[in-house]
Amino acid sequence: MRRSAAVAFLSPAMLVIGLFTVVPIALTFWISLHEWSMYTPLGDMAWRGFGNYADLAADDGFSTALGNTALYVALVVVVTLPLSVALGMLLYFPKAAGKGVARAVLFSTYVVPTVAIAIVWGGLYAPSYGPLSVLFGGATWLSAPGTALVSLVIFHVWQMTGYYTVLVIAGLTQIPGDLYEAARIDGAGFWRQTAHVTLPLLRRTTVFIGLVSIINAIQVFDPVYILTQGGPAESTAVLSFAIQRSAFQHGLAGQASAMAFTLLVLLVALGGVFLAAVRRRS
Amino acid sequence: MRRAAARAAGTAAIALVMVPALFPLYWMVISSLKGPQELQTIPPTWWPRSPSLSAFTEVFDAVPFGAAFVNSLLLAGLATASVLVTSVLAGYVFAKCRFRGREALFWGVVATMFLPPVVTLVPLYWMVSSLGLADTYLGVLLPWLANPFGVFLMRQFVADVPDELLDAARIDGAGELRIVWRVVTPLLKPAVVSLAIFSFVFYWNSFIWPLSILQDDAKFPVVLALSQLLSYSTSVQYQNVVMAGALIASLPTIAVFLVAQRVFVASLSRTGVKG
Repeated sequence: MRRSAAVAFLSPAMLVIGLFTVVPIALTFWISLHEWSMYTPLGDMAWRGFGNYADLAADDGFSTALGNTALYVALVVVVTLPLSVALGMLLYFPKAAGKGVARAVLFSTYVVPTVAIAIVWGGLYAPSYGPLSVLFGGATWLSAPGTALVSLVIFHVWQMTGYYTVLVIAGLTQIPGDLYEAARIDGAGFWRQTAHVTLPLLRRTTVFIGLVSIINAIQVFDPVYILTQGGPAESTAVLSFAIQRSAFQHGLAGQASAMAFTLLVLLVALGGVFLAAVRRRS
Repeated sequence: MRRAAARAAGTAAIALVMVPALFPLYWMVISSLKGPQELQTIPPTWWPRSPSLSAFTEVFDAVPFGAAFVNSLLLAGLATASVLVTSVLAGYVFAKCRFRGREALFWGVVATMFLPPVVTLVPLYWMVSSLGLADTYLGVLLPWLANPFGVFLMRQFVADVPDELLDAARIDGAGELRIVWRVVTPLLKPAVVSLAIFSFVFYWNSFIWPLSILQDDAKFPVVLALSQLLSYSTSVQYQNVVMAGALIASLPTIAVFLVAQRVFVASLSRTGVKG
């Protein structure tokens, strides 16, 4: 393949990704060192050095957002991972009718616009008019600081589990059937087969789902914006929401960028730890 | 007998899982069919007493929903077309052309897949608005013209195309563009179809970027119109209109998914295992 052709084929994608993803990463850091209102030219920014970062360290709002995000991500992963493995096994092993339909139904929640289906969940959670308030004896759901974040986690799990379940099913098809045959001959029942054959051989898939579900949970924005606007009492103000609000509603782009860059550094650190862990174990 | 019992138990367990999965979708449909009076009853009714389709016309009067629908088709459609072209071309080079730094560049692209969009939102807004493109379709589209997941997916699939086929085409005097278009793309049909569905659904559903860059509600895509609709009609008696809007906004993605569900799930599964 000629060099000129390779360059011509590669450059459209690289140009777009470079200009609108890589360059903005550097700019985020640059803006985070300034005070800027978003709506004046970039040249009018006032230099603040690491002042924005110092403010974040002192600001309760940022530590709240960080804590909310950590809790949200932890809950999502802890529920999603075992649930999608269990559902994947349910849709793969037993001889049963309607498995294909069930897989499509589970997956369909993932393609519906989050904004649209978050609105529906707003109706489900509504005090007194909502079916979930009736079924659970007047549970407060989104309207109390103690339950709002968990309600958003339930919504997230409902929307995303079908996608992860499909990944689990794909992983299960890769496990050779004679391994189960051998385990059965050795007298292993369902639980021992699960512990000694299924789960160890599914590890690549579960590690991947763990990573992707963390990434997806960290990004959560749409349901927060639609359902709670970070409330009540900042209990659902996660980082993505806090960053967007700070820049586009409060005009504090420097501070928002400092939050965004801190998030990026945390993600890179997390990715490094993750890669190191995967390398060491394999 | 035991086999039949096990089969029935499996089917029952699967049916049980379907209830929570489907209930929100069911609630969306029945709420859109209820009248204002019935929406205000406590406890709520589980089946509409006098179903009516009037909410489906009201939603078009409340906000410019029809225009928003067209805007979304346009934005998601153009973004998808561009993502397909840029991804196939870049995936072909990454899979079939050796050059220094190829792996580093490729994994760099893959790494950006994991970047939350909010991290680059502020500078992206600044870049697009300094080009004079704030509040324009082109401004929304610019960062959507290529997608790292698309490049990743296409490289994985082009890698499976045998080199002999490409060499044979070259000996016949075919240019590289012709090889991509006539030899590679037809072989990748399922992967290209899934990427098209993925992109269309992804950009149709995208919220945070249009929300941040668009101001004029005549340019809003359908998800923004929905959020606007929600803020106009928070009272419970308008919930049929809001739910009708949510249903209409979801239809294209559900339709596209149902039509090509098999291909889509199959390719997505493959990337999952490889990832």
